[in-house]
Amino acid sequence: MSSKVSILPLQDVQKVIQLIKKDFLVDWRQQNPIAGILLYLASTIFTSYMAFKGFLSFEVWNALFWIILLFTAITAISKSFIQEERRSLYYFFLMKPRDLINSKLIYSFIYLLAIAILSLIIFTVLFGNPIVNYSLFVINLILGCLGLSSAFTMISAISFKTSNRSVMMAVLGFPVIIPVLLLSIGNSAQILDGYIWSQIQGNMLTLVSVDVIIIALTFVLFPFIWRS
Amino acid sequence: MGYLLKTNWWKWLCVVLLAYTVVGGLLLPVPKLPILNETIRVLHFHVPMWFGMILVFSGSVIYAIKYLKSNNTMFDVYSSQLANLGVAFGVLGIVTGMVWAKYTWGEAWSNDPKQNASAISLLIYLAYFILRNSIKDEQQRNRISAVYNIFAFFLMIPLLFILPRMADSLHPGNGGNPGFNAYDLDSNLRKVFYTAVVGWALLGYWIASINIRLSVTQEKIENAS
Repeated sequence: MSSKVSILPLQDVQKVIQLIKKDFLVDWRQQNPIAGILLYLASTIFTSYMAFKGFLSFEVWNALFWIILLFTAITAISKSFIQEERRSLYYFFLMKPRDLINSKLIYSFIYLLAIAILSLIIFTVLFGNPIVNYSLFVINLILGCLGLSSAFTMISAISFKTSNRSVMMAVLGFPVIIPVLLLSIGNSAQILDGYIWSQIQGNMLTLVSVDVIIIALTFVLFPFIWRS
Repeated sequence: MGYLLKTNWWKWLCVVLLAYTVVGGLLLPVPKLPILNETIRVLHFHVPMWFGMILVFSGSVIYAIKYLKSNNTMFDVYSSQLANLGVAFGVLGIVTGMVWAKYTWGEAWSNDPKQNASAISLLIYLAYFILRNSIKDEQQRNRISAVYNIFAFFLMIPLLFILPRMADSLHPGNGGNPGFNAYDLDSNLRKVFYTAVVGWALLGYWIASINIRLSVTQEKIENAS
């Protein structure tokens, strides 16, 4: 890294925005992957609706919501580097690894957040909606999505280099994601149970710090993966 | 590390300490306590395994960082062999813990946060070995497994602190249960326990050094042929 030490050079910001636009355009034009993920989400929720109908307490609602989000996230984000296979040589000459990982982190965060909101809507239609305190629930959802998307982006970059990608994604990803998952499931169960901010702020702040650890590690370690 | 490899007094020390641990740990008097009774002897065989595991995994991560800095293949050998040994320690720790839990908690696996945390740490490092085996190119394998090693280790540490907050544990020293200090009135346990920690750590170091030399030699043979 021989680049000058400056926090946000304008040129880098422009490059990151360009890369995000490119990801968005690729997904928009191909349509197949996005439609696949949406159908995956809808059919998983519908299957669990058939299975769980009739005995759904808010704890089960909560656990089901997060587990489905977890599986959709791992399927959706695993493509973020795998689709770059043929382009990666060009990036190697054009982009700094830091810009690339920046754009991937932001794009997969937005992508996962959209999936989460959509999943919330489908859940509301099929299962009903036990949420009382919307603002806290959404804050926790955003923090959880941030952790999930950034950890899976990093794992996707790692498994991009291996021979059996889809298996590696799950094997490497699940143990690593457990802190984020436990905290966000626990928080959101407490929020649904009617806890207020002062009762859960400790766990929320822990979740924020785990997110920060994940993102910091990703920034430090990604250039080493990319260089090889 | 270099000095210990050339001498062998510490190997004799290790044998003596472990002989004392096994004989003393099984035969010396222990405090008579309800529920625990004689099972308290597992202290000398269970707790040092976790000390050893955390120590060895930390060593593995330090060598992974050194590898990324220098690209020296020796550091990768150190790192992967230490992780190997850490998994062995972890499995022994889980098995001894489960045997103990069977007699004191009533079942071998009771969804205790301590048990879950140890299972997850093992999952992480088993995944590390699968990752190593699924990359063909050697340099790439070393670098990517070092990256995963660092990434997973620094997420395992918060996990060890987060899990106990989410649920109460029955484990001694957690959730209001006293640790062994409270039981150990006449310091008999302590004498054996500290001996055991040093003895098992030395044994681990011994095994690791043999494994490291073995894999270095294998690599040399492969390169020569």
